[in-house]
This record gives sequence, structure tokens and C-alpha cells, in this order.
Amino acid sequence: MEQNTRPPRLELLQGTLDMLILQTLQWGPQHGYAISQTIRAHSSEALQVETGSLYPALHRLQKQKWVKASWGLTETNQRAKFYTLTPAGKKQLLRERDRWEQLIAAIGGVLNPNPAKG
Amino acid sequence: MKLLDGPSRAKRGKKTLPTSHGLCGNIKGRVLDWFLRRDRDDDLQEEIRSHLSMAAHDRVADGEDPQTARLAALKEFGNVTLTREATRLSWGGVWRSRVADITQDFRYAIRTLRRSPSYSFVVIAVLALGIGANIAVFSLFNALALKPIPHVDGSASLGVLVARTDSGRILPLSYPDFRDLRDQGHAFSGLAGTSMDAYSLGLGTRGERVFGEMVTGNYFSVLGVGASLGRTIQPTDDVSPGKHAVVVISDGLWKRSFASDPAIVGKTIQVNAYPFTIVGVTEPGFQGSIVSLKMDLFLPVMMQAQLRGFDLLGVRESPMLWGLGRLKPDSSIAAAAAEADLLSVQLDARQPARRVSQRATVIPMWQSPYGAQTYMLPAIMLLSVMGALLLLIVCANVSNLVLVREFSRRGEIAARVALGASRSRILRWLFVENLVLALPGAALGMLASQGIDLLLEPTSLASLAPVPVGLNVSLDWTAVVFALVLSCASSLAFGFIPALRSSRVDLAGIMKDDLSPRGGSRGRLRNMLVVSQVAVSLLLLVGAALVIRSLESARTADAGFDPRNVGSVSLDLKPSGYDAIRGRSFYQTLLDTVRAQSWVESAALTAILPLTLVDSNSVDAVIEGHNPRPGEDMRMLINTVSPEYFATLRIGLVAGRDFARTDASDALSVAIVNETMARQFWGTPDGALGKRMRLGGGDWRTVIGVARDIKYARVTEDPRPHVYRPLEQNYLPAMTLHVRSRDPEAVLLARLRSTVQALDPNLPILTARMLTEQTRVALSVFSMAAGVLMVFGVIAMILTALGTYGLVSYAAKQSTHEIGIRIAIGASRAELLRRFLGRGLRLGVVGAICGLVGSVAITRLLTGLLYGVSPTDATSFAGAATMVLTTVLVASLIPAWRASRTDPIAALRHR
Repeated sequence: MEQNTRPPRLELLQGTLDMLILQTLQWGPQHGYAISQTIRAHSSEALQVETGSLYPALHRLQKQKWVKASWGLTETNQRAKFYTLTPAGKKQLLRERDRWEQLIAAIGGVLNPNPAKG
Repeated sequence: MKLLDGPSRAKRGKKTLPTSHGLCGNIKGRVLDWFLRRDRDDDLQEEIRSHLSMAAHDRVADGEDPQTARLAALKEFGNVTLTREATRLSWGGVWRSRVADITQDFRYAIRTLRRSPSYSFVVIAVLALGIGANIAVFSLFNALALKPIPHVDGSASLGVLVARTDSGRILPLSYPDFRDLRDQGHAFSGLAGTSMDAYSLGLGTRGERVFGEMVTGNYFSVLGVGASLGRTIQPTDDVSPGKHAVVVISDGLWKRSFASDPAIVGKTIQVNAYPFTIVGVTEPGFQGSIVSLKMDLFLPVMMQAQLRGFDLLGVRESPMLWGLGRLKPDSSIAAAAAEADLLSVQLDARQPARRVSQRATVIPMWQSPYGAQTYMLPAIMLLSVMGALLLLIVCANVSNLVLVREFSRRGEIAARVALGASRSRILRWLFVENLVLALPGAALGMLASQGIDLLLEPTSLASLAPVPVGLNVSLDWTAVVFALVLSCASSLAFGFIPALRSSRVDLAGIMKDDLSPRGGSRGRLRNMLVVSQVAVSLLLLVGAALVIRSLESARTADAGFDPRNVGSVSLDLKPSGYDAIRGRSFYQTLLDTVRAQSWVESAALTAILPLTLVDSNSVDAVIEGHNPRPGEDMRMLINTVSPEYFATLRIGLVAGRDFARTDASDALSVAIVNETMARQFWGTPDGALGKRMRLGGGDWRTVIGVARDIKYARVTEDPRPHVYRPLEQNYLPAMTLHVRSRDPEAVLLARLRSTVQALDPNLPILTARMLTEQTRVALSVFSMAAGVLMVFGVIAMILTALGTYGLVSYAAKQSTHEIGIRIAIGASRAELLRRFLGRGLRLGVVGAICGLVGSVAITRLLTGLLYGVSPTDATSFAGAATMVLTTVLVASLIPAWRASRTDPIAALRHR
């Protein structure tokens, strides 16, 4: 019942998951479950992150040294692995956002050509 | 509230999934990595648990009951294993998982093979034989052609500067020619000169005969060899003739004769009775530049006159040394040879008096006559070909075994395919399994090759001439790499065809437990394998038979003299201070004393022993009344002998008389020629008598006798002109006494020693042995090739027998059911026996025909090694074919007989 009221899920564009994770971590250290919940909430349930992609992505980011991981306790007192954005990760986020904006602008330009400009 | 197992409990106690990411590593880092990875695995597992736990927790907070919440969380999470696998992939590179896969393949292969030890043992043993034989041959090849000079880098690419007569004979250069060619040429970055000689080292009874090289000052720097003690011969030792009495000794001589004396440098030794100061000891491992022979002394070429007694440094007509040089990077042997040719034309133009019968040229090391290479290489090449053929049978044989085994494993492979293993993965798995069998084979083969080399050495090289022999046959990296490549290649070869089949399994057929061979193709492959084994082993046997028959005919060949019952004692009077007058009288007394003994039939002296494998001295001859054609080879082999030489060796005189005591130094100069020479220049032996010639610019000599030809250097040589001079008219200090006697060998040699010592107790006896030893050495190349080929042939036969046996018994087993039916409906046992025997024999005959055809084509390559046997010798062919067919018959008889004994009831109940 509830399932039907949700907006249709969207497929994540290739390569955008890393950016979304980095963006999510901007507001502070988070564990994997929280990251997926946050992305889902912020996209109004439209983006559902598969754990099969989330964890590989997190570990990949860790390997790139864009995030750090450490075990800690949640507010409900459960042990969880928290990921923190590193300075290099912040820079990477900026780069990826930049690229994303450009992509959006470019796609937008193609979809809505502005005759006034031409 | 805990809904799931807490991470604490989940952690250590449980074993991680058997992912086997480890390398069988002994490298510390890798082991560490492996442990870290396992830790990371645990960590990930815990992370996922915590995720699930939090998701469930949230759902409980929303009011779901714990059980449902947990299941829902799991469902939402998706495939845990898949997530973990995907995450794990993000840790390491692709190569890492691949390495892990291959490691797993290796482990699995080892485990599987351990479960069938007899199969593994047979395959490893067969491969070890094949690979070992090839490594042994390769290490010989390596020693002769790839690394001819031990301890010298890049020795195979050295160029050898020599003279070539118009008839193609290779001669050393004279010193002036060498100097001009060296100074005017540009092809070499460094060109050294060297020549090999025997020297008397020390004085009196402590004297010994050693071999050494007379070298130019740059010899050691060109070869890149240093001294372990003192210094080497330097360019400063190459300045003025007679002024550089220095010697460098080999490490071997230093240890052997000087007890590794650390204060050896600066001491004086007598070389050919002339004092030389030892200035250095060469690095261990270096044994001079003569392939396979060990040199002990290195002397400056400037001391030539002091060492030899006559000065040749300024004589342009006397061959003296050859050049050994490193080519410039932009040059080549061909370019250097062209340059040398051009330069020698210019040299001749400036010296119009010289006879144009030779040109300078440059040949590669492996063609150089100074060493064992030209004499051994044809045999080695033959053995290489035979070795490759043997490996072919080995692969065919193992292929056969793999096929049989694969058949019994079809179920296993089918299960793997059903579980989703890709075809390439199955192929890799089977390949790895073969490799696991081939590598121990290679290791064993390397060990075996050492054994074969040991077997080879005493039969051939070690006994070669009086020169100490050392061939560079040690295992080195080249041989190890060769072995590895060989094993990988053979495991590919023997495993590939069966593997290709296995990976293409017919699932449905196996499910139906269909054990009958599918179609004719499998049978055809196995038949082909047997046919090829029969053919190749026939080929090997024909080769072995031909070489053995050559050995036999060379052994019984008429060398022109009778070496039996002749003792030989070599002496050198010069180091003991004899001059020519005393020397002459000593030798006369020696002959008189020996001949007076009751146990002596006859005795004589000679300068050169027969069948030494190397051409002895030769001189330019001028024949009275004969105008040499331009380019006619007028160099004649020459020997100096005493009277009774021909009688002692039982060499017949065709015309004229033997030397006599009356042919003294003040009488008419005389010579005896051989029959070939007499016929070549004077038509008939009698026509030669009384004719005159000059030898090496000496007086006119009159021919007083014609002796029958003998084999002078090698059993296989063609007849060549040869001249004898009497000792009385051409005194030489170093002679060998030949004594014919009925005494047993040991008695004779002891008596000869004591006779010599009674005459001069201070005179060293350089060698004392029977002449038959000499002839045995001359046959060494045949006996070596025959021995190895025989071993190869026998291995091939055993393998063929195994292959045929396997095929027939497999066929019989496959048709157990059919046999049962046949017997049940009245087939006789003889009929069944014929049926299965026929199957083996048919293949045997087809293989034998292929083998015979192949042999006819290939034995022509053997011509150089054959003696007195045609390459298509019918006896050898028939013998080999009989042997192979008998083997096939016996090998098929056993399983065929067993098949005919099948109990029909049991056979029919079988399924």
C-alpha cells in the first residue's frame, strides 16, 4: 500500500553515486545505512541506493583517500562504521559538482534551445 | 534490543568464507596482505551486520515486530554475498583476483593429482624423461655454441680471424699478417691474437706437460678476464721480442701444482726450459679461449722465439696465431670477413713474392677449428633433433593418458559446467593441472640431465687427447629458462587437445551415463597419437641403428695401422737441457736399449701420434717438376719418424724402403711419402721413387719409399697427401716412443718407464699409455652419439609400448559389453584376440610406414656422422621396423588376451 504512494524510483546515473555520497558526508560523518537513508530522504524517495553499489562505492572512495572510515557508536548506541569526508574528498566533491552543473547546463541547452541567444 | 547476532560474536570465532585470496607466498609482504585482507573481510561482514541491525531497529521503532523487521531489512538489503563480492572487488586490482584464481587452480590441481598418485607418477616420470633428455642435449649445445668460452661474456659472438686457403682449409695467420690486419682493420673494437701449444713446465722429473696459449698483450682485456692474483698479460708485455719473460697461470694450475700458494706472484718457473716470472693467476672459471680444452699458461707472443726455439715473429710465410676479437656494434661477421679479404689482397699486392694461396677471413666462434665446436656440433645438432622428436612422443603419450583420465572425469567437468564455470575457466584449470605435472618433470629432468652429461663425459671428451678437457656444461639460467619454456610448451601440447574436448562436454550425454565413445572422432585422435608414437620411435631407432653401425664400422675400419699391443711413451728432452747433439744420441741409445730387450718386437720414435682428431703439422711443399695450378693446396701433412716406425705400427710399404740408420744428417736428405701423395704427383708408387721435393723451404729431399695411407687425424677423413722425414735429418726434442710387445699393458708400460729412467733418471715421462687408447678417443664422437641415440631409442620404444598398451586396453574396456554379447552369441576367444590384436597391429603398421618414409627423408641429414653406412641402410631400417612392430605386437597382445578372457556373464551384468 505504502509502496504505491511512493514516487517512481529513478535509476542513478553512472558515476553520480560517488558524488551523492560525498555530498551526504559534507554534513558530517555518517555510516552506510544512514547515507542510503539520507539519499533516499533528500530525493523524496526517488533515489534508492542499492547496497550492492553503496558499499563498493564507499570502499572505493576510501581507497582513493576521499573518505576515512572509523568505527563508532550511533545515537541509538549501536556500533557502526562511520565515514568522514577528507580534505581531498571535499575537493573531489567540488570538482564533481562542477562537472555535474556543466553537464546539466549542456543537456538543458540541448533540450531547451534558447533562440534569443542565437 | 539486539535483533541480530552482535558484531562481537560474529567476528573472530567464525571462519571467513573460503575465498583463498592468498598467494602460496613465502614473501612476507604478501602473507601480511593476505591477513589484512582477511581482517578486511571480517570488517566488511561486521559493517553489513551493523547496517542490517540499524535498518531493523528503525523498523521496530516504526512499530513492526522484531521478526518481520529483521526479515524486511534483509529483503531490503538484497543479496548479502553479492554485495560483499562486489565490495571486495573494489579493494584490489583485477590482477589480484586473477592471481587468486590461478592460485586456487594450482591448489585444486595439486589436490586432485594427489588423489590419483599412480597417474601423476607415470606422467611426471614420462615428462621428466623427455624434458631431461632435451635439457641434457641443450646444455651441451649451450656449452658449445652459446657459451663456448667459460667465464667470458658474449663469447659466442666473438669473431675469429684466420687464413683460408683456396681449397677451404683454415690456417692460422703469420704474425706480420696478423699485425697488419689488426692495425688496418676497422671491424673489431678489440682484436687479440692467440695460439695453442703444449709446454713443458718445470725441469727434470718434476716437469709436467701443460697446455697454454701464446697471446698478444690485449688478449685479457678483449676477453674481459681479470686476475685473481697479481695481473694479467698487458699491452706492455707486447713490446720487444724476447724481453717479456712473464707468464700468467690458470687458477686450476695454481691450485693443482702450486698448492694455491698466496705468494706465487714473482716466483720463477721454467717453461720449455726458459725462466719465466709468474705475474698473475687468472680468475677461477676461466680456462682459456680454446673451446672445451683447459689451458694452464698464458705467455706473451713476444717470447715466441724463446719458447719454440726459432723466431717466427718476422716471417710472413709461417702460420702462427689466429685473431679473436669483439666486433663493433655496427659491424658483423660478414662485414669483418669482407674487410679482412680486402686487406689481405692489399697485403699481397705489396708483397709480390708471396704465393697467393690464402686469404684472411673472419669466421664465427662456432665454426672455429680451435676447440671442440666444429667436431661436436654436428652430433649435438643431431641429438637436438632426436631430442625434440622424443619430446614429441612424450607429449603424445601423456596426451593419451590425459585423454583416458579426462574420460573418467567427465562427470566432474560436467558438474562444473553446470554450476556455471566458463569454458575458458575449465581450460585454464586443465592447463594448470598439466603444468603441475610438467614442472616436477622439468625439475627431475634437470637432475636427470646432469646424470646424462656425466654419462657423456667419460666416454668422449674427458679422454680426448692429452689435453685436460672441461666443457661448460653446468646448469645455468639459460638452461633453466629453456626447461621452463619446454615444460610450459609441452604441457600446452599434451593437455590442449584433450582439454579442448573436455571443455566441450555434452551435458545431456553424461546425465544419461553414456559411457560409449561419442562418434569416431575420439577414437581417431587416440589412433593418431599411437601412429605418431610408432612413427617417431621408429625414426629414433633408425637413427640410433645407423650411428651404431657407423661406430661398428669405424671401430673395425682399417685405419691403416695396427694399434694393438703398442705402448706409447712421450718425452721432451728440451726442458732437461739436451741440445740437438745430445738429444740425437739419447734417442739413438733409447731405441738401441729398448730394441735389445727380449720382450720388445720392434720400437720406433715419432713426433706425432695418429688419430689425435686435430690436424698435425703441415708444411708448404715444392715438388720438382710440378707447377702448382693457381690456388692449388700445396700444404702437406708431415711427420718425423725414426727407422722401424712403419714396422712397429704395421704400416705397409708399397714401394722403396724404410728409413735406415744410414740416412744420417750428413747423408742424402730423404723422405717417405704416402700412397695418395705418390699417385697425386707421380702417377704410381714406383714412379715416386727417386723424385725430389722441398719441404718448408728446406733442402731437396729424395723420395726413397712409399707407405700405405693411414688415418692421420680422424677415422672418417678422406685420403690426404702425407710426408715423413727421418728423425736423424730433422731432430725434434719432443718425441713419442712406440713399442710393440706381447707384454700385458701394465707390464709393458712399467717396463718402458723403468727403461727410460735407467737412461736418464731426471727425464720426465710426459705420458705413458697404450696406442689403443688413442684410437678409442678417435671414436668418441660416434660412441657418444650412439650412446645417446640408443638411450633415446629405448625410451621411445618404452613409451610406444605404453601408448599401444593403453590404447588397446582402453578399447577393450570400452567394449566390455560388446565382448560379452559376442561371446554370448558364440564368438570364439581366438576371434576376439585377433580382433583386438588387429587393432593395435594395424596402427603399428601404419605408424611404421610413416616412420620409414620419415626416416628416409631425415637420415640424409646424418651423413656427416655416418661412416661406412649408407643413410638408407636396409639393415638398420629393417632392424628398427622389426623392433617397433614387435613392441607393438607385445603391447597389444596382453590387453587383447585379457579381453578374450572376459567372462560374458560379468560383462553383461556390468551395467
